[in-house]
Amino acid sequence: MYLGYVVDKDLLKTDPHFKMGCVLCHKGNAKEIKKEEAHKGVVKRPSDNLRSCMVCHKKITDNYAKSLHYTTAGQRNGVMARFSKEELKTFDEKVFEKSCRSCHASCGDCHVKGAPVGGISIGLIKKHKFVKKDEGKTCAFCHGGRVYPEYTGEYGGSPDVHYQKGMLCMDCHKKMEFHGDGTAYASKQDVKDRPACKNCHKPGQEAKLTAQIAHREHDGKVTCYGCHSGSAYRNCNDCHGGHSAASPGMMLGRSPRDKKTLTTLRLIPTVRDTFAPAGIKMEHFDALPNYWDTPAHNIRKRTDRTRNCDACHVDRKNFLTKEMLIKNGSKANDDLIFVPKPINR
Amino acid sequence: MKQFNLWKVLLVLFFILLPTTLMAQGLSPILSTDDLVKNLKDPNLVIVDIRKVEDYKAGHIPGAIGVFYNNWAPGKGGLQNEIPADDDMMDLLSANGIQPDSMVVVHGSTGTGPDRVNVTRVAWMLKYAGVQKVSVLSGGIEKWAVREKRELSTDVVRPKAKTYKGKFNKDVLAKKDYVKSQIGKVIIVDTREPAFFSGQQKLPFVAKVGRIKGAVNLPTAQVFDKYPPGEHMEQCCWTYKDAAALKNMATGVVGNDPSKEIIVYCDSGRVASAWWFILSEALGYKNVKLYDGSMEEWTKDETDPIEP
Repeated sequence: MYLGYVVDKDLLKTDPHFKMGCVLCHKGNAKEIKKEEAHKGVVKRPSDNLRSCMVCHKKITDNYAKSLHYTTAGQRNGVMARFSKEELKTFDEKVFEKSCRSCHASCGDCHVKGAPVGGISIGLIKKHKFVKKDEGKTCAFCHGGRVYPEYTGEYGGSPDVHYQKGMLCMDCHKKMEFHGDGTAYASKQDVKDRPACKNCHKPGQEAKLTAQIAHREHDGKVTCYGCHSGSAYRNCNDCHGGHSAASPGMMLGRSPRDKKTLTTLRLIPTVRDTFAPAGIKMEHFDALPNYWDTPAHNIRKRTDRTRNCDACHVDRKNFLTKEMLIKNGSKANDDLIFVPKPINR
Repeated sequence: MKQFNLWKVLLVLFFILLPTTLMAQGLSPILSTDDLVKNLKDPNLVIVDIRKVEDYKAGHIPGAIGVFYNNWAPGKGGLQNEIPADDDMMDLLSANGIQPDSMVVVHGSTGTGPDRVNVTRVAWMLKYAGVQKVSVLSGGIEKWAVREKRELSTDVVRPKAKTYKGKFNKDVLAKKDYVKSQIGKVIIVDTREPAFFSGQQKLPFVAKVGRIKGAVNLPTAQVFDKYPPGEHMEQCCWTYKDAAALKNMATGVVGNDPSKEIIVYCDSGRVASAWWFILSEALGYKNVKLYDGSMEEWTKDETDPIEP
């Protein structure tokens, strides 16, 4: 029997959130006995309106209102360079507000009930208990298409070495990343205090000399993911136009944000006709590539690239090539192709 | 007088050494929760919880370490449930302080079919790595926590790392070419359900219906019983059938000769691990191998003999 929406009655007696009854947040009429009457005016997701939580948690909700999880500004700003001025206006009205913004996380989506994704919800996290964190049910549900199954190894390959060692999302991603710091960032790239491998793994402290040398040689040229991403990750290649397709793959190429650096690339689903249903042609479609640098969450100490230099320098395994590029993709994709040189032995 | 003192010394030595002797015998391969409790304080005991990290953190058997299933059986080369590279396996064992003489008890959930066979797949993996005493907990975490309401801990156990010094026992593994060469010479056991064995059904990741030529059928699903019988699953779990019932099922298909070579397989090398463990560890068959690639690998090659 599915118990995802059964509230634990004992919580009503002990949790201060329930002190003033369900109606404090959900509205409706507690004095009515008939369900139809009692449920008149019920608010299903009270924390969609941050004022519901603001009464007691003002500082956090003030910050959260500007956070990327709430504003989803990253989605808009990440694609806007493809639009003309007029198109951006149409996008904001017809696509961003009606589609992208519907994905914003309310407080309750992380602390009470799993967010509905694609119309499916896991229900209450712990029988309406206000949980501090439960990454496997909250982070995993919204980020369950790509990040989480790659992290646990359920997408194929091995689990990320950090998961192997018992680490969950919030062992690297700090609370500030979720609630925000009060600044309305345009993109997550602008957030300064994000997790970085080198925060914990200081260069020069490697146990093995070979690792020290390899790190020194590639420092500033290849991202950590470039060598330590352990297996294929999900690439979405034909989405948003009423159709979708995804397949596992690993691609190495120049980072679109820093062309001097080699990294893992992921195919992102904006294709030429993605916004055609909204009447947007994307006049500047070629301004951005279809492949983006991705911090693949499937890190392994050893990969075929760390085991053998030839995997990259001779075999060029997983390197993005002209033949691999998606058909009718952005012209900017060509700039991401990188051909590694043989090592002078 | 001197002889009396000698007897006294021998008697004292006997009682001092008795627990060590018992310990050396190891635990029953299919372990009950009661027997686990009796051994909880054994310093050589390593309880391995193979559920996901978040489930482990939410509550586990006190003292258990959490090492998720996928660490033991990663996907590799387009196949599921493969063997980690030797150096990765060494790291995994060393980081978790497992030694060849550790008494390892593997457990997880018994809620779904894959959950139940994940446990024996990890047990097989440990035997492959050369760990000598490996048991599986009958009834899993549900019997422990839901039915018997025993203590759960939320303290994450950080095992003391120690370099693993075991010798890998690769004889428990059968590779495809070997299986092919042994058709008609050894007992090849298909552990899938009869509809799969008879070629009526297949899983999506298996290219063709059918079984390896000459295989006999011993379905894994039959090794488990609902516990308690007739009770709704929310009240407990699945446990292994008793030894007599398992022996009866096994001998009817593979015979009584414990020295006869047996190769078990399924679709991806996971389901078959249950019968590998029962035959090899619980029933004493001496030469049982698991064909790791199973039908997922076998059906990729047109030349591999299949029937019907």
